[in-house]
Amino acid sequence: MPKSILIDPAEARASGVLTAPPIPLNAYVADPAAEAAQYGSANLVRIYRDMVIIREFETMLDKIKKEGNYAGIRYDHRGPAHLSIGQEAAAVGQCYHLTADDFIFGSHRSHGEIIAKCLSAIAKMSQADVQRVMEGYLDGAPLRIAERIAGADFAELAITYVLYGTLAEIFGRATGFNRGMGGSMHAFFPPFGVMPNNAIVGGSADIALGAALYKRVNRKPGIVIANIGDASIGCGPVWEAMNFAAMDQFHTLWDKAIGGHPPILFSFINNFYGMGGQPKGETMGFDVLARVGLGVNPQAMHAERVDGYNPLAVADAIARKRSVLEAGQGPVLLDVVTYRYSGHSPSDASSYRDAEEVKRWQQHDALLGFRRYLLTNGHADESALDALVEAAQQRTRRVLEAAISLDLSPRLTVRGDEIGALMFSNAPRTARNAAGRPEVLLPREQSRLKQLAEKHRFAFDPDGKPYPKLKTLTYAEALTEAMLHHFYEDPTLIAFGEENRDWGGAFGVYRGLTEALPYHRLFNTPISEAAIVGAGVGYALCGGRAVVELMYADFMGRAGDEIFNQMAKWQAMSGGVLQMPLVLRVSVGNKYGAQHSQDWSALVAHIPGLQVFFPATPYDAKGMLNLALHGSNPVVFFESQRLYPEPEKLTPGGVPVEYYEVPLGQPAVRRAGNDVTIITIGATLYVALEAARELERYGISAEVIDLRFLNPLDYTPLVVSVRKTGRAIVASDACERGSFAHTVASNLSQLAFDALDGPIAVLGARNWIVPPAEMEDIFFPQPAWIVDVLHERILPIPGYTPRTVQSSDEIIRRNRLGV
Amino acid sequence: MTTQVVLPKLGNSVESSIIVAWLKQPGDRVEAGEPICTVETDKSTLDVPSTASGVLLQHLVNVGDDVPVQTPIALIGEAATPTPEARADAPPATPAISPRALKLAQEHNIDPSQIVGSGPGGRIIERDVRAQLEGQREARRMTPVARAMVARGGYVAPEQGSGPGGRITKHDLIPIGDPAPSREPDASSSDYEVIPLSGIRRAIAERMRASLQSTAQLTLHTSADARALLAYRQKLKASDESLGLRNVTINDLVMFAVARTLRRFPALNATFEGSELRQHARVHLGFAVDTPRGLLAPVIRDAHALSLRQLAEAAKALVADAAAGKLSPDVLAGGTFTVTNLGSLGVESFTPILNPPQVAILGVGSVNLKPILPEGARDVVFAPHLGLSLTVDHQFVDGAPAARFLQALAHNIEHFELLLAT
Ligand SMILES: Cc1ncc(C[n+]2csc(CCOP(=O)(O)OP(=O)(O)O)c2C)c(N)n1
Repeated sequence: MPKSILIDPAEARASGVLTAPPIPLNAYVADPAAEAAQYGSANLVRIYRDMVIIREFETMLDKIKKEGNYAGIRYDHRGPAHLSIGQEAAAVGQCYHLTADDFIFGSHRSHGEIIAKCLSAIAKMSQADVQRVMEGYLDGAPLRIAERIAGADFAELAITYVLYGTLAEIFGRATGFNRGMGGSMHAFFPPFGVMPNNAIVGGSADIALGAALYKRVNRKPGIVIANIGDASIGCGPVWEAMNFAAMDQFHTLWDKAIGGHPPILFSFINNFYGMGGQPKGETMGFDVLARVGLGVNPQAMHAERVDGYNPLAVADAIARKRSVLEAGQGPVLLDVVTYRYSGHSPSDASSYRDAEEVKRWQQHDALLGFRRYLLTNGHADESALDALVEAAQQRTRRVLEAAISLDLSPRLTVRGDEIGALMFSNAPRTARNAAGRPEVLLPREQSRLKQLAEKHRFAFDPDGKPYPKLKTLTYAEALTEAMLHHFYEDPTLIAFGEENRDWGGAFGVYRGLTEALPYHRLFNTPISEAAIVGAGVGYALCGGRAVVELMYADFMGRAGDEIFNQMAKWQAMSGGVLQMPLVLRVSVGNKYGAQHSQDWSALVAHIPGLQVFFPATPYDAKGMLNLALHGSNPVVFFESQRLYPEPEKLTPGGVPVEYYEVPLGQPAVRRAGNDVTIITIGATLYVALEAARELERYGISAEVIDLRFLNPLDYTPLVVSVRKTGRAIVASDACERGSFAHTVASNLSQLAFDALDGPIAVLGARNWIVPPAEMEDIFFPQPAWIVDVLHERILPIPGYTPRTVQSSDEIIRRNRLGV
Repeated sequence: MTTQVVLPKLGNSVESSIIVAWLKQPGDRVEAGEPICTVETDKSTLDVPSTASGVLLQHLVNVGDDVPVQTPIALIGEAATPTPEARADAPPATPAISPRALKLAQEHNIDPSQIVGSGPGGRIIERDVRAQLEGQREARRMTPVARAMVARGGYVAPEQGSGPGGRITKHDLIPIGDPAPSREPDASSSDYEVIPLSGIRRAIAERMRASLQSTAQLTLHTSADARALLAYRQKLKASDESLGLRNVTINDLVMFAVARTLRRFPALNATFEGSELRQHARVHLGFAVDTPRGLLAPVIRDAHALSLRQLAEAAKALVADAAAGKLSPDVLAGGTFTVTNLGSLGVESFTPILNPPQVAILGVGSVNLKPILPEGARDVVFAPHLGLSLTVDHQFVDGAPAARFLQALAHNIEHFELLLAT
């Protein structure tokens, strides 16, 4: 789309043959002498130690899950434990060269990676730095326990700390690394670069991409690794993330100073199984996973197969790939060959594999092999290595005892709604944590802000005559003002999505931003809704602020997991460790039929952890976007395509040029009345106002309230109004069944029951596909429907003949038919 | 056992009363004699005592109902006693009612089963209860007669009536077809002002005309030497405050004299009711009071038996009640003779109009000096005299007995101290 890239037909039509780079398979050649020189005995022994620690930790969990007993300590753990016994070398080898600045994201099977990464980071940090981290994290809560059980040695304390924090988290304790809210599949520890692990297969791919983007855009050191399983290659978002990371623009269009592609390594921990399905040979067709890199970019993602049963082969690969990534030439794909002896989970009877296969891999066991290697090459003697095993067992026992104790390791309680308090971080920040000034191409005064400020800010002149539309600030432009304001304030703020640059967003909200902002702050993405939102999630949880856009609400399905499980939940799943200042702009369409005209606000309002805004006036569009861009919570921000071209008609004084925010969760009374309250969500406001004018002719005075916020929502003004009027209709353009209007109606009928003069009626769009534009008036609520609903279900109007069927019987009929 | 409490007849002339408020609710314990509700009659507001002890089981009438006297209004019994309704074969149908409407109905003691719902499916909604309330308010605002007249057609009710609390009486009704009374004088077409007649004005007009049309009125004038009376009043004024006699008026003294004198003249202490003439042994003395709402004549019972102080106090209390509109209907009825006084306004003598069914009324005039010739004296002296005008119904009282009464009364006034001794 940028004019600078010419699509030449001669080139496009020229014949030839596409060649691809070869993909190395297990290219590492062991050289004990060189390795001894490179690593030194102590580090090589430490690699063994770390593998032993992980093996013991996972073995303990295996016994606890299967037998309820480890070394005489009994415990019943109800939650999951996806173990990685057999995969230790891949984890320890990967982390050997990583520092706390390098991030790893993982999967449901990442206990080993957590431990390996933490121990590696500790080995590279000063004692004081480690102490500072442990003291500062969750006010030192996990440290206090580790101190009780570790003894005087600091190295021992640090290891104990990592194991305890992880195990307490697995057991759901308030002293765990994420206050017990993440558990086995989500445990993580950011201070040492262990970022969220994800129970959604492949879920880490696009989030890790966002983290890599964060590092690039904000010039942060370190690389980012997404540890995902071989079966996750079947997941669309994983492909989306790889494509996104490989986008040409990173080296063709972005300022060279940014450093090129995001430094992301897709590390497929290839244990050859999903749960029971086998990607190689059964569920996929790649034969060798590394081949997938060929489908992504000319560099084939620098893909390699690496021997994950040799920690040094993995360490070597990471070291080499780090240079590629730091040079901005990523993304990188590694196919890390490994094997798990344990089942997928404790309930796994391993019916899908032969015992002989497991036995063979055990003969290749990395712990045995690497131990032999250390002994053979004189890095340690048997007793020293035995001592490491013995220490690991003893430490694991102590950690287990502490982690199962409800005295030492309590759970969060409902006292003070401790979990509720974790749902939202509520930490508005004006100055973001990135140093420096916001990078822009134009001074603020020359940006589109200036031009917009000169427009009429209200629809009508003092005599009530409408100003010419082109000269009056619109809903879309009010959004532009909020975006621009924050781009000039917050150096970390970036926005991306489809057609965001040049085009200015599909509906022109970003018109003028292309001129003002460099590529790395505003860019086009592939048509990858999952990766758009997922990358936003990763960017935000690292400390940046992102605004991502889905062109139509209807496309949320493409980003379902990222919206419902990732964006929504990480603040709470992190135990309050992470913030999620991510705004997802979603426009609600019309005229484009069944897949482009739906209001899906109820879907997101249903998900715990999301804030949901839906402004209906230009004043609110700006004030609510300002609010969202100032907060620290994930906001799904609905916009109405019907309203984009509309000026402010309701708020006296119009849209202020200055900065302002709309108070969170407060509905707005748009028209006062006494006989019925009409509550609307989104553009339905204007339908209700028209209905109110019609009702006035029948002597019925309607109060119209614009909900503005779906969550959080202050019901008080609604209750006050309904107590006054005794009658209420909740109307929205969303399909009626399961709509948020029902939630509001249900709550209000509980809150204002004694004051009700009739049922609270819900009015939504029909439960059909959206018909063609010319037929929308039989699909979306119309003013007459509101009058009819009042007449049929609440307050019969003398002498009135309804124009549509809105009776109670009709509710039964429609539901019986499911329409 | 369940006992019915019936609406008592709260005055001879009272035919019905409006229930203003329930003081006891179903389930409340009540003792005989304890007020259970407040009712309003044409003339005042009164409490209705329970006639039984027990638990109030049910209200049989609603706030706002205009209830004929002697109608059962409540059931009193023991808590578990089934109400007559509960024993009825068909359980009362419970109409659907919105919570809001129900609450409103309860607040105003309205029985929802009496309401026809206008909501969807016949649900009783707020406006139905409001309509019911409005109807009751209408009812409360209008006397039964006025309501019947409006219902029959030919009249419309004004916004505000002239009865107690703005109640609309038949006198307030505006005949349909009458030009609406205009408040502003129409300067262009006339130089007079149209004064709309208040209800009480219309009532007085009717009563006065009826009085003149149904009786044969004869008025006799005389005057009584007032020296003794005035001297005595001076003494009262100068008396010790604790005696409570300082505020006794000339009118009180005259009424005292009238009450004592009348006992000897039963022909004048009489009423003609229906077809019989009743001469009364006891004197129930009416006296005219000029109130902001019009002329009223409360009655002092057994005035002949009261001491001067008692009589003065009774009169004073009635004047205060009359001014406040709190007179009970019974206090306004049952008089056997009336005294009316225009003397304080300087009128020497006048022709009072009878207050049927009474057959006599005394008008008291002003005090004027009159020349008299004391016994044995050669020169006339001037003595203060009180004007007295007696109107009798010549159908039942002849001129001579009337004159004799006047003469006796004048004598008693002249010898007031002697009268006190009787
Ligand atoms: C989106 C999604 N689909 C399915 C699952 C259920 N599930 C959990 S693990 C797993 C297999 C994952 O295999 P792989 O990605 O190779 O990782 P591994 O378990 O081998 O470490 C499946 C299907 C899930 N958690 N998430």
